[in-house]
Amino acid sequence: MRADKLIRWFLWGYLGLVFLFIFAPIVTSIIFSFNSDRFPTIPLGSFTWKWYQTIYNDPDVWDAAKTSVIVALSTSCLATFIGFCTAYTDFRYQFKGKNSYLVLALLPPTIPLIILALAMLAWFSKIGLSGQVWSIVIAHTVLCAPFAMAVIRLRLQQMDPDLESAAWNLGASEWSAMRYVIVPFAMPAIVSSMCLTMAVSFDEFAVAWFVSGLNKTIPVIILEILQGNIDPQINAIGTFVFVTSITLVILAQLIFMLRTPGSASNA
Amino acid sequence: MPESQIVFENIIKTFGEAVAVEKMSFSIEQGEFLAIMGSSGCGKTTTLRMLAGLEIPSEGEIRLNGERINELAPAKRNTPLVWQSLALFPFLTVLENVEFGLKMHGIEKTERRERALKWLDRMEIGEFAERSIDQLSGGQRQRVALARALVTEPPVLLLDEPLSALDANLVVRMQGVLSKLQKELGITFVYVTHSQSEAFAMADRVVIMSKGLIEQIGTPQQVFREPATRFVAEFVGSNNIISGKVSSKHSDVHRTDLFQGVPYTVDTDLGEVVISSGELDLGATVELVISSDRMDISFDPSDLENQFPCKLVSEEFVGSIVTLLVETENGMELKIQKQHKDIENIQLQTGQALWVSWERKSAYIIPGR
Repeated sequence: MRADKLIRWFLWGYLGLVFLFIFAPIVTSIIFSFNSDRFPTIPLGSFTWKWYQTIYNDPDVWDAAKTSVIVALSTSCLATFIGFCTAYTDFRYQFKGKNSYLVLALLPPTIPLIILALAMLAWFSKIGLSGQVWSIVIAHTVLCAPFAMAVIRLRLQQMDPDLESAAWNLGASEWSAMRYVIVPFAMPAIVSSMCLTMAVSFDEFAVAWFVSGLNKTIPVIILEILQGNIDPQINAIGTFVFVTSITLVILAQLIFMLRTPGSASNA
Repeated sequence: MPESQIVFENIIKTFGEAVAVEKMSFSIEQGEFLAIMGSSGCGKTTTLRMLAGLEIPSEGEIRLNGERINELAPAKRNTPLVWQSLALFPFLTVLENVEFGLKMHGIEKTERRERALKWLDRMEIGEFAERSIDQLSGGQRQRVALARALVTEPPVLLLDEPLSALDANLVVRMQGVLSKLQKELGITFVYVTHSQSEAFAMADRVVIMSKGLIEQIGTPQQVFREPATRFVAEFVGSNNIISGKVSSKHSDVHRTDLFQGVPYTVDTDLGEVVISSGELDLGATVELVISSDRMDISFDPSDLENQFPCKLVSEEFVGSIVTLLVETENGMELKIQKQHKDIENIQLQTGQALWVSWERKSAYIIPGR
């Protein structure tokens, strides 16, 4: 009995330490974003909104935020669309070289970001597309589509393969079956994938930094401010980015885990 | 004479190297309840899927009302299928599931709602219209699947082992529902199953398939009492099958025998067996099929023909029927079925010596190849 209790406390403590290890830097950054002192030292100064006001009044930050939002939204739509198509191909068809097809589709995130970014930059300047908002969107889509595919594929795997045939059998054309059966069934995964890819795009620095040109995204402007001087507004922007991303990721998780009617329950 | 509603003509279906259906020809009449039976992998489901347009025949022609439908898209056939998995749409309510077919056929909203509700009421699940599928029991889902398939009032309904997931007592109830429905609607039912009791209980005719080939088509009685092949005799359950060679024709034909055929003696592993049959060649190989409910047992020998000593191996009690398994002196096992009420007062022990016998006319003869 006593020993059990001890182990329990030990495990709880261990869990706490792990979380501390993971989140301490972020929490520190959030705390210092409300600290009036210019340098991050302890003891803390007084509570302040000053740094948030600074970034609120900074047109560069606003521009970057706008770019980031446009890029994230476009990326999430494009990447989810491509991911859905890839996942559906996998679900519906059997063909020679299907495994290679899947491996190729999942490859981009395994390439080191710097390599991918350099390659993108070189390629975009070749075809005269570098330094535009669209070049970031394309680069991020390449990066995000595999995540979208993985999420949607997981959902389609839970689907009774007879459902689509049943729709045809009841008079649905291929397109109607897609619209009224496949897409509704995959909807939780589609929304979840949109949140997830939006978060990835919103956070991504390396590729954006290489291909963005003058259209800076939030992570890029963070680095620029950081290079200039030590400035607590970094903490403020960081907090903003963190809250946005974590919200999207949690949302993605929640939507995907929404009780998925018909998949597990009536097996 | 007009052609049958559905005609399969020399249909072959291959998947790569594997042959699923091998040169199959048969026809189905309008309003018929046809059961296609066979063990798994015999091609029965493939046959049904070809009829629904979900598989395209490799060779041959399928005609529906005289028109070739081999390549017709499934959506254009109106041959709804009740799936083994039911394949109800989990993201739609019961009502929306039933409405689906009407929606796809372009029926406008108020009418399709009305028609769907009518079918839900007919299937006695009207009160569940707004529920989601996973709130229903197995039997209720079965009814939703039926309503969804029938709501477009199709000329043909296809059913792929629809009752295989239900409890035994529910199966019997749904058989009643299906039979009644088919008679009321007067439409053709094509019912694929591996269950003999389902097929025999409902079907007008039964198709027995094995390894992509049709072994026999006939009424349940024909298939049961007059199996065309040894496979059918084994498949339809409780038959004893004994192979032998025709050794002599009896000359002492009584007048009464003339109506039942000519008596022959057949040499089998058991010994000499007397049968009564149509013309047979002497020396021909034949299979004797003796239904286990037509065999008798006794404690002592009498002057009956076809009587052989045996030993009781086991006794299996399944409700009103008891199956006795006996072993003859040369090691052949025979099954004997008796009504429980007929033998409950007899004390039988495993290993007990008995005599098994049957009347000559009880053996159905399948000519050997």
